[in-house]
Amino acid sequence: MNDVKTGAFNKQFVYNLIRSSLPIIGLITVCIVFNILTHGSMWNSRKLILNQIYVVMISATGVFFIMTMGGLDFSQGSIMGIASIVVCMLSGKNIFLAILGGILAGAVIGAFNAFFYVKRKIKSFIVTICTMFLFRGVIKYMASNSPVAASMKVYDYDTTAIKLGITATVLIISFMIFRFTGFGIKLKAIGAGEKATKFAGVRTDRVKFLIYVLSGAITGLAAFVNIVKNGSATANVGSQLETQILIALVLGGMPISGGAKVRFENVIVGSLLYVVLTNGLIMMGLSTQMMQLIQGVIFLIFVAIFADRESLSVIK
Amino acid sequence: MSDIRLEVKNVSKSFGITKALDEVSFNINKGEIHALIGENGSGKSTLTNSLAGIYHKDHGQFILDGKEIDPVNQVEANNEGISIIVQELGTLDGLTVAENIFLGHENAFVKMGIKNTAAMNRKANELLKKYGFDRIKASDMIDDYNFEDRKLVEIVKATYFDPKIVVIDETTTALSREGRDELYKHMKRIREEGNTVIFISHDLPEVLTMSDTITVLRDGIYIDTVKSSEIDEDGLKKLMVGREVTGAYYRADYGEEVSSEVVMRVEEVSVPGIIRNISFELHKGEILGFGGLSESGMHEIGKACFGASFDRTGRVVLSDGTQINDIPTAISHSIAYTSKDRDNESLVMNQSIRDNICLPSLDKLGNKAHMLSDRKLRSFADEYAKKMSTKMQGVDQFVSNLSGGNKQKVVLARWIGKDSDILLLDSPTRGIDIKVKQDIYQLMDKMRKSGKSIIMISEELAELIGMCDRIIVMKDGSINGELKRSESLDENSLIAKMV
Repeated sequence: MNDVKTGAFNKQFVYNLIRSSLPIIGLITVCIVFNILTHGSMWNSRKLILNQIYVVMISATGVFFIMTMGGLDFSQGSIMGIASIVVCMLSGKNIFLAILGGILAGAVIGAFNAFFYVKRKIKSFIVTICTMFLFRGVIKYMASNSPVAASMKVYDYDTTAIKLGITATVLIISFMIFRFTGFGIKLKAIGAGEKATKFAGVRTDRVKFLIYVLSGAITGLAAFVNIVKNGSATANVGSQLETQILIALVLGGMPISGGAKVRFENVIVGSLLYVVLTNGLIMMGLSTQMMQLIQGVIFLIFVAIFADRESLSVIK
Repeated sequence: MSDIRLEVKNVSKSFGITKALDEVSFNINKGEIHALIGENGSGKSTLTNSLAGIYHKDHGQFILDGKEIDPVNQVEANNEGISIIVQELGTLDGLTVAENIFLGHENAFVKMGIKNTAAMNRKANELLKKYGFDRIKASDMIDDYNFEDRKLVEIVKATYFDPKIVVIDETTTALSREGRDELYKHMKRIREEGNTVIFISHDLPEVLTMSDTITVLRDGIYIDTVKSSEIDEDGLKKLMVGREVTGAYYRADYGEEVSSEVVMRVEEVSVPGIIRNISFELHKGEILGFGGLSESGMHEIGKACFGASFDRTGRVVLSDGTQINDIPTAISHSIAYTSKDRDNESLVMNQSIRDNICLPSLDKLGNKAHMLSDRKLRSFADEYAKKMSTKMQGVDQFVSNLSGGNKQKVVLARWIGKDSDILLLDSPTRGIDIKVKQDIYQLMDKMRKSGKSIIMISEELAELIGMCDRIIVMKDGSINGELKRSESLDENSLIAKMV
């Protein structure tokens, strides 16, 4: 039926064009609109806004990989929490040890998720919702009485150069891997059809395991940036991060089921859009309740636009 | 009253800019089996789907017994007296057999808002018994039955209410021989009751023996309606393709010696519940066929040799002593596999042609630093897709938009690009039209001559006989005989070993 489908294909093409340009148009619109509404005070506080982007953008990179292959990760906030506590505890000894410790802590939790997801074949969103509560419990236990404070040394690293440098490095390396190695193609293929990908010779279980470990490690690195910014880890450290990442990626045009239509720009545009949007709403003087409501509505609209209905059934 | 059951008048249907049906008009009589044939994309299914309320035609008329009908969904079409059996599974998981049979017509069993399940099951059991499918129980979940039995349930579902027209859309390709016979029996019964069967099939001998009248479509245009007693296979091919089909169809040689060099040795391979103690050798430059009923376990042979079977025992050894136990090892040792389940196991549907072709060859395509360039991937995919003369808009097109034949070409392009030496082809021509079939047969012949070895697993006996050097016949999970290539080999000698 090759000829028959031609028309449908053209329609698809226009639709794809709209889809791929909507996030960037949205970002520009939101920037302009909020700057006008706040009479330019948003532009004046750009440094403050930028400061909130790093953590979301770094962690979103890892989750981007997970979602590309059709998985989800709700334990990101708890990974961030545990890794932050580890960074704080080690920061007194040696700062590089602290960074390494954070990455390792994230990777271990990622491996924990991957074990149940890949080896025990439980759906990823179930596994990660469980680990979200599990590790949040651990965080509460460790940080409830008093926040875990980092050594004062970490404030030396609270410069735009270092935070931006770390973010840029993560983005560039991830982009290179995703775009110019077989890894990206394999991930997208798993998202679009795991069984067929396996039959094409890809070690799908190994890739899936690796991605959860990698994503945990990346968020562990983001935890360092988080501690540099905040100086200590409270019982609520990292909470809601998973939702923020999810909203950011979807705002960036990421299809929620992953697959072939995923683009790396989703991470960058999405994170920027999310942070600008929330900050704009705060500057408009909206109440927290009102903000959540508006975020919910926007999130729903974007999910509806970007959901790839043909492959929605493959969410793992 | 006239004999005409259905008048198709100037029916057109477009998908976007392409006309799938262009002013098609012809008549279908009462009490006949009317075949609808044509190549992939000729509009057969579009026509019957419009008739059965699955699609909506753009304009034109369907006149059933003198009254125009315009069903908007399948239930409405059923009420007008039209039912359809589709190519793929038409039953729904999670419902019982009875619920599937009466889907959309449950109201017949509802009294004061309460469904009388017992009455529904009783009626369904009566029907199953009447059809001779006693082993299927109305109260069982449909999930408990295999593909074959579920098709039988569909036959009951589509015909129990004595519809005036039953559409059977390429159902036989998915059925084993017993299932086909069962279907043929009911097609004949429907005809004897004075009702009409519209029969879509790619299998021309089947079309000629089963149908009374044949209508040919080509590129959405009505070509001709002929009596099946007045035409032969070549005549039909000519009508379908629009020119003489020239050149060899199957391979023409007989009596050629196959090399004694063994490239793959299969030793005592078993997969619990499917195959038992299978041993054979594959030679260089040989086409080795596997035939049998679809439940004979033959489809597992390909998977087992590819390292894709779950829970396999025994050994699959290559000439250099390598054992094949997983898919990546198989592929890196130049083994290719095309699955019978093309859409789920051979191709990543919602993915571009480019990525589908490049997927197994990514290591080869990278530079020294394992980096890939878009241009290289694109030209690689383009080269092999074109080599297979795949009809496509470009390598960025998604595979899900291609026809069955073109999908299979993408699968083959992938493995030719990988330059595989051992090809495990499971039902390579399933649901594919004559021209593409011919292409695939010629490709296999060329590969054979260049020293590649092929295992072909097929339910089509004619192609096994036409293409293979040896045919191993499977029965109930074991090997039940082996036949050598010869001109005198016919389908009956194979069938004798199959059942």
